[in-house]
Amino acid sequence: MDSSLADTVELQHDYNFTMSTPDVHAAATRWVDDHGECLYRYALVRVRKAEVAEDLVQETFLAAVRGYEKFGSRSSERSWLVGILKNKVVDHFRKLGRETSFTDMEFLSDEFSEKFVPVGFWDHDKGPHEWKPEPDEVMHRAEFWQVMRDCLSKLPQKIRDVFTMREMDDVPSKEICAMLSITDSNLWVMLHRARMALRECLEMNWFDQTAGGRA
Amino acid sequence: MPEERHDPSPTGNPSVLARRNWWQTILVELIGTHTPKCREMVRILSQSMDKPMSLTMRIKKRLHFLICRWCQRYEEQLRYIHETARQFPEHADDASSAPLPQDAKDRIKQKLADQIR
Repeated sequence: MDSSLADTVELQHDYNFTMSTPDVHAAATRWVDDHGECLYRYALVRVRKAEVAEDLVQETFLAAVRGYEKFGSRSSERSWLVGILKNKVVDHFRKLGRETSFTDMEFLSDEFSEKFVPVGFWDHDKGPHEWKPEPDEVMHRAEFWQVMRDCLSKLPQKIRDVFTMREMDDVPSKEICAMLSITDSNLWVMLHRARMALRECLEMNWFDQTAGGRA
Repeated sequence: MPEERHDPSPTGNPSVLARRNWWQTILVELIGTHTPKCREMVRILSQSMDKPMSLTMRIKKRLHFLICRWCQRYEEQLRYIHETARQFPEHADDASSAPLPQDAKDRIKQKLADQIR
């Protein structure tokens, strides 16, 4: 963040403050151009409806302007904005939680039983393969994030919501349970199913592929 | 002991201990009996991402890993998924090509201008 810009911003501390600096306007416009796509695509992964995603992005930028003074140089502009968006997404689910029933537990049937021999050990031919992640390189590869998005989209909706809330938005387990009116054990089973399916999907569509010649 | 009892595992078992000779067979059976089965172990490993394991379970896990490289991989991979999932939101623009419509961008910029004014 441009420190000279922060210096010129004067905020009143009530909610309906006004900011009278053209610099803030310029910065906010630039945020939309630089980070709007990223925020929108994440929101879309989470809420799946374009108009809801657009609203969340708009709320994020408005909140960012309001909270501009709190943004130091501790984090990058992108992660600061993404952090605000995550809170907006969780608020959205909080509202939705009252309307959505999470008592439907049909998805808890164990789809992965074929991976284990009857006595409960891995079937050796079907156990996890060796992954050879190349952290820095892979992190920046767009294809990896596409595969992860595809794998997420294959999860049943409810366990995807729970997984993304826990692992991407970093919402504490207790809060998720309260929000969705589920028990700790429900949550753990759902997370376990999500991780198992995601692991399998990433292995098939990324790690087994990269070992085969992309690396 | 009969030869087949020593090596019923497929060749190339990646675990530290497999049934490669009589003493490994004894250890594998001992550890296999006294630690959770893999089906249960993966559930425990997932739960430990949210709630710390007891000391007893940590010891059992270590022992189990000696006879089961697959569960060890599973744990490593859960941690990897945890780390990468956390970073997904900031890379969401790489993950898909759905564009934020221009009219939505213009509307957001207008709202921001109204608020800043």
